[in-house]
Amino acid sequence: MTLKKTPFYEIHKKLGARMVPFSGFSMPVQYQSIIEEHEAVRNNAGIFDITHMGEFILEGKNVFDFLQYIMINDLNLLEVNKGQYSCMCYENGTVVDDLVYYEETPTRFRMIVNASNIDKDFQWLNDHIGEYDVKVTNLSRERCRLAFQGPNSDELMQKLVDVDLSQINRFYFSHCNLKGNPIFLARTGYTGERGFEISFENQYAENVWGYLHGTGASPAGLGARDSLRLEACYSLYGHEISNEITPIEAGLFWLVKPKAGIDYIGKEILLKQKSQGTERTLVGLNLLERGIIRDDYKIFYKGNQIGYVTSGGYSPTLKKTIGLGLVKTQHSEINTEIEIEIRKKLVKGIVAEIPFYRNV
Amino acid sequence: MDYKFPKELKYTETHEWVLLEDEVATVGITDYAQHQLGDIVYVEMPEIGMIFERESIAGEIESVKAVGEIIMPLSGEIMKTNSKIIDNPELVNSSPFEEGWIMKIKISHKDEIENLISVEEYIKVVESEEA
Repeated sequence: MTLKKTPFYEIHKKLGARMVPFSGFSMPVQYQSIIEEHEAVRNNAGIFDITHMGEFILEGKNVFDFLQYIMINDLNLLEVNKGQYSCMCYENGTVVDDLVYYEETPTRFRMIVNASNIDKDFQWLNDHIGEYDVKVTNLSRERCRLAFQGPNSDELMQKLVDVDLSQINRFYFSHCNLKGNPIFLARTGYTGERGFEISFENQYAENVWGYLHGTGASPAGLGARDSLRLEACYSLYGHEISNEITPIEAGLFWLVKPKAGIDYIGKEILLKQKSQGTERTLVGLNLLERGIIRDDYKIFYKGNQIGYVTSGGYSPTLKKTIGLGLVKTQHSEINTEIEIEIRKKLVKGIVAEIPFYRNV
Repeated sequence: MDYKFPKELKYTETHEWVLLEDEVATVGITDYAQHQLGDIVYVEMPEIGMIFERESIAGEIESVKAVGEIIMPLSGEIMKTNSKIIDNPELVNSSPFEEGWIMKIKISHKDEIENLISVEEYIKVVESEEA
């Protein structure tokens, strides 16, 4: 099996990154230290290679109506130069993928999808086009993507781009130039800090990375990306949402819009769950005794299993272990005392308030 | 990669180091092991007084991304564990052979010392794992 490489592969190796396979790519899990990279993003700014993710362009007369049909969020809340986070769901309400789409014009949208779901999403979109006048183009391999995140990201990015970033609000985007290199820049992110996600043609890879690195921002790998998003309690496909979990169960009830008079896939079940509730609910987790919460550990209440950990780990910002888990709704209240099974021992824990951290 | 391999210590193929002083063995994990694990965030050490056989699991070391086992290099009773690494597990990363020591064992079977490997043999173990 050979792994795909992003245009930044050699740069990662030169920086001493530890490379791991991720969704068919060789990606940096860390450069020197996950904790140091995590802290650099929280205190200054970090640069993430997210080229493994997918990028599609959807174009055509009926793009808007097509997206209204396959997305659970409401595009009437969108406008040109703005992006929107949503899920595409199956008829039973479980999730095909979570993603962000950006309205470039009412008939042209850019869509960023998860690395693990690129082929599935492309197929899903094409399978549901039917009579809609829409064409989907997969630009994933033709463009690079980087995330630039941290409290100083505005100040540092402003030195490089030819647009006034103070005029670009959260979720809005711009086509601009980074020291002469044309980029798509959106004020979005997955770390819980202010920041940007940018995409550009492969030919500009070295230049753009060089300028971003030159600001003093720290390269940060997938390890830090995961610990940062876990502190911010952002869902990760395959963990908090999946083809077995609905957005309502995952606490994303605000994504499920009524869209009166507009049919969308999963609408009936999702609106029912939104009004009637679900049998299981996503909660935050802390331990009351020593240990580290990890994915898939079982969660117990008074000796009975009530759920499992969807994501767990160590929080460098809070300096303790944190986690997210799916538990029976009747035990989902904050401060409910639960137990987490760690290597055959039941360790005392508690349902915690989430998010653990946000600084957007 | 440049790892530290103190010459005065003995080693195991499972990446523990052993400092032998008569009846007592001080045990930790090697520089190579801490590097493989990454940022260490938690150490689970055995209780004082517990007796373990050689090659049994005495405890766990957890990094951000991985869980590693601490394997007993020799049979014996746990005499002391390093309380400093409970609140500062990062000492195992920054000082694996000194401040990041893990436990002191009262050796019960002195002949088991033969099973420990020399620094030269351990370097070979690391080289073959890196290849």
